[in-house]
Amino acid sequence: MLSEERRVDEPRVDERPGALSLIKELVAYHPGLFFVSMLGASVFAICTVASSWALRWVIDEAVLPRFDEGSNDRRTLLIGVTVLVAIALARAGGVIVRRTWAGKTQWRTAESITGEVVDRLASQPAPWHRRQRTGDLITRAGVDVEATVAVLAPLPYASSVLLMMFVAAIGLIALDAVLGALAVAVFPVLILANVQYQRRVDEWFALAQAELGSLSSATHESFEAVSVVKAFGAEHRETERLSAIATRVRAARVRAIGLRSTFEMLLDMLPNVTNVIMVLVGVHRVDAGHLTIGGLSSFIYLFALLVFPLRLVGYALSELPRSQAGRSRIHSLMDQPIVRDPRTSIFELDESTVERGSCVRLSSVTARHIEPTGTSTPDLQNPEPSNPDLRAVDLEVGCGSIVALVGPTGCGKTTLIEVIAGVLPILSGRITAPSSRAVVFQEPFLLGASLADNVTMGRGAGVDDPTVDWALGVAEASFVQELPNGIETIVGERGVSLSGGQRQRVALARAIFGRPELLLLDDTTSALDPVTERRVIDNVRRELAGTTIISVASRPSLIRMADSVVYIEAGRVIAQGTHDELLVSTPGYRELISAFERDRGEDVG
Amino acid sequence: MSAESEAMLDDDGFIEERFIGQASREGAAESSVLRTVREGLRAAPALRQGLGLTVLFALLGATGRVVIPVLVQQTIDSGISGDSTGQNRSEGLDVSRISVLCGIAIVWLLIAGISQRTAVWRLGRRSETALLDIRTRLFSRIHRIGIEDHNDEKRGALVARVTSDVETLSQFFSWGALSFLLSGSLMSIVAVVMLVYNWLLALVVFVVAAPLVVVLRQVQIRLVEAYERTRAANAELLATTAELVTGADTIRAYDAGREFTRRAKLAARRKAHDQVRASFMGSLLFPSGEVFGVFAIGAIVVIGWQIGPSSGLSAGALIGFVFLTYRFLEPVAELSEVIDQTQTAVAGLRRVLGVLSIPETPPPTSDPIALPAGPLDICFDHVCFSYRPRRGEGESSGPAVDDVELCIPHGTSVALVGSTGSGKTTLGRLLARFIDPSEGMITLAGVPLTRVANDELRKRLVVVPQEPFLFEGTIADNVRFGRPNATEVDIERAFVDLDLETWLSGLEAGVATRVGPRGSRLSAGERQLVALVRAAIVDPDILVLDEATSSVDAVTEVGLQRALDRLATGRTIVAIAHRLSTAERADRVLVMNDARLIQDGAHAELVSQDGEYRDLYDAWRRSTDSNAGQ
Repeated sequence: MLSEERRVDEPRVDERPGALSLIKELVAYHPGLFFVSMLGASVFAICTVASSWALRWVIDEAVLPRFDEGSNDRRTLLIGVTVLVAIALARAGGVIVRRTWAGKTQWRTAESITGEVVDRLASQPAPWHRRQRTGDLITRAGVDVEATVAVLAPLPYASSVLLMMFVAAIGLIALDAVLGALAVAVFPVLILANVQYQRRVDEWFALAQAELGSLSSATHESFEAVSVVKAFGAEHRETERLSAIATRVRAARVRAIGLRSTFEMLLDMLPNVTNVIMVLVGVHRVDAGHLTIGGLSSFIYLFALLVFPLRLVGYALSELPRSQAGRSRIHSLMDQPIVRDPRTSIFELDESTVERGSCVRLSSVTARHIEPTGTSTPDLQNPEPSNPDLRAVDLEVGCGSIVALVGPTGCGKTTLIEVIAGVLPILSGRITAPSSRAVVFQEPFLLGASLADNVTMGRGAGVDDPTVDWALGVAEASFVQELPNGIETIVGERGVSLSGGQRQRVALARAIFGRPELLLLDDTTSALDPVTERRVIDNVRRELAGTTIISVASRPSLIRMADSVVYIEAGRVIAQGTHDELLVSTPGYRELISAFERDRGEDVG
Repeated sequence: MSAESEAMLDDDGFIEERFIGQASREGAAESSVLRTVREGLRAAPALRQGLGLTVLFALLGATGRVVIPVLVQQTIDSGISGDSTGQNRSEGLDVSRISVLCGIAIVWLLIAGISQRTAVWRLGRRSETALLDIRTRLFSRIHRIGIEDHNDEKRGALVARVTSDVETLSQFFSWGALSFLLSGSLMSIVAVVMLVYNWLLALVVFVVAAPLVVVLRQVQIRLVEAYERTRAANAELLATTAELVTGADTIRAYDAGREFTRRAKLAARRKAHDQVRASFMGSLLFPSGEVFGVFAIGAIVVIGWQIGPSSGLSAGALIGFVFLTYRFLEPVAELSEVIDQTQTAVAGLRRVLGVLSIPETPPPTSDPIALPAGPLDICFDHVCFSYRPRRGEGESSGPAVDDVELCIPHGTSVALVGSTGSGKTTLGRLLARFIDPSEGMITLAGVPLTRVANDELRKRLVVVPQEPFLFEGTIADNVRFGRPNATEVDIERAFVDLDLETWLSGLEAGVATRVGPRGSRLSAGERQLVALVRAAIVDPDILVLDEATSSVDAVTEVGLQRALDRLATGRTIVAIAHRLSTAERADRVLVMNDARLIQDGAHAELVSQDGEYRDLYDAWRRSTDSNAGQ
């Protein structure tokens, strides 16, 4: 059943959506917003072309008559200038509408897609998440969504430029067929050159960016290792090593800058030289009486107006592959089937179990641990760590008792806790457990919100809920009250940082908050000193009288408090009984305990 | 390190505060910016080399921009002057003259284009060289500043100095400085050409366009604010989705999926809102240039028409002016954007310079004395040390090591014990010369530690820290960190010498096994084994061990102990002991309490008498005995 799952992989190129279907798909999210933006773009395009005609009119009808013939027709001049200004204002308005609504289309679409991704992430159960690289999934919701919608921003503009080119091409050809043909012929060349430019230069900058990425991680590693560096007098060596990487960054950058400056030069020269040729041809056309001087001027003006937008069309087109890649990465996430939730295969307590006074029953449970791939690079040679396993585990735990799971490192204690919690799926066997259960993991997860939110996790009432204080009290997390904002204190990057023991106690309070019938602890109390540990267990016993506790125990203090001990070795339950019984009956247990006693003392330093 | 340079490691807010204070003392904020830039130029001399020539190329390149307007003017005027009485103006066009002009224009465009490209490339190459230089100096300095400045909170800031702060400078050079150079050149050239054509119309353009600068500045400021907000919103979105992913187990266990998607969607909504606002602000930039441009053009057409040909203005000049006005206003929007980038870059430069001004700690040895080849006895002569007060706390928290008088003969194994905060770690740091005593002196074979060259000291004395850091790479790479010229054979032998070949052969690829980032593919105990071999291969006379507290499984524990025993023969071992089992095995136990050395003797001796050591020992016994209290 696990083999069906796969990691969200880099999509193959041929899986990428086509440009048109991508645009259709994206526009479909908010077509109204897109329409308004296109309207603005059309106004912009039409006004751009119109402004060149207005300019021609002003030159031919007002400026030249004045200078040429000494005309004094002020009315024509004022009308012309007014029209010119009015068109420019309308054009400015068009730009504002176009860009604002393009922004709305882009970001509202991003919001919608993020929503879909988030929903999908939330509906996949824990085993699926363990198989994913954390960084990868976060990228889907962030960078990939942004890449996907990136094409929407320049789309109205690019469309309007195409419209403008079409209108202008007709206008230019109508004005003068020869010159018009010359100008129109340059447009596609410019677009192609721009697309090439964007792709090539982006490639080099991406390379430089990648080098910068490796510089950044090497720097972080080196600074983190500073005490080792100092201990071995390796300051100079490390400086050289990092400097070598920085040199690669520089080399990539300089190459990119060289390429960019050459391209920029060519892209600048092409329209300028075309312009000069147009003047040359135009002069002959004027000389032959096919064109007026005003016509020639407006020609050059219009051409200049189109050159800059054409460059942006190139930019828009170069965004397409990025958007396509982003979209297909999101698709590959969304298309994965929802994995079966392991919790659904845990049976509610049946009467026969309850009659026997048991709260948790496992019969021949086999399970495979799934190592969270987390942020570390996945091990490609060994993608499915097969150990530790649980092999045909039978276990019965009495209601209201405290059970300690004991065994050497890697024996399957954590796996056992996780299958009972319903975080890991079982391969075979049967688990019966109360549905009201809570688990505290070895590495407590706290969210970057208030302590109260961390305890409630969206359950029940707000901050005034006295249950929060009660749960914190039971978990011996009274340090919370001493924080500047009490339970309203924000934890994490933007708030206070808590010590390991403090984090554990908050996570414990979260578990206690729901008054579970079954409390599963994965070595939770190991970060506490023995006195606090004792108090926590006593509190839970007192306040949650009927609650069964199953806890992984890695030190003697907790074992002392347990009603019974389950000794596990290599994924099998070897023995179950009291501490004293196991000391007598089980040699492996005896050895482990004496190892604890021999050397694994509490930190006295 | 002075409090001043410490500020450099902290957030912008604090630095700004400091600089604002300083600026008001000096009377003007400008001088502070200028001073930073001057200091920056001094720190990166590569920037100044050939700058004059680069500017010259840029100016030459900018002349390319006025070619077309001048050509249009020439064409029109030749048409008019050729036949001012005829019905058809075109009859008088001097076609051959204009053809020659076109030829000149093309050559001019080519020269200008190549000049501009040369300017861009020169600036880019020089600035990248300068930034590489700055980075290298940062690496060197950061590795040599005090260990206190390398705590977890400050590490991110230090990495940021080398990466993002230098990046803002790079961004500035490849775009901001370039804009200053190119747009500045362009505007000056165009302004000069306009003034030559007609100073009156030129002034009209300047006056009408002047408010544009103010408008753009206002839009720009709001745009930057809007972007700042989108950045914050984006960070929040990333944080909430990261929680959804990293907390997957917990969220499932508490059925909190709905609550978490709600939070993430709220963050997505906020981000969309802020982005739309930024889009709106951004949409105002380009049109404001346009609107002012057309106002200026309208004004010059009307005024040009009004003053007419009688003033000597030609139609070509007036039309050429229309084109020049566009060219003149084009770069304004870009320049106003550059102002913010410049501010960011100056702030980045300030932080970089701040780190470069942190002194090396401990200071480098100027006049070293060679250590004798033989045994190295350690002596502490009335050594005191106090950490500098933390920011915000006025007073120092008292000495961390107070008047320690101690001699350790060569070959002894010593355990340093005491409760948290007793000063044992500080004593270890003093011995390793990570810090220098504030009073008193430490000597090795009679040579003051401060007079021993760092390179020599690190060959004779090696520290194995509590959390031994392994670099991403193979085990061999990590061992070789101790001795860069060690061969594969040397490394294998080092493992054999410490009786670790069984452990090594159990790994997938022996010494070529990859340890993962920070050594995460090895267990804590295994990382310690590698760290011990890394220390052993240096073959030092003195080993300072900061013992780990993390639980190590029994098999590794045995290996670790055996390796340590092997390593101890013929060397001085100073172990900062967290477990008293280490003290039991040591030749001599030193007990620290409240910065003072209070007990000194063998384990058996100390445990038999009343005092701190016996209390510590009893407490330890109780906690490790599973039958106690039953």
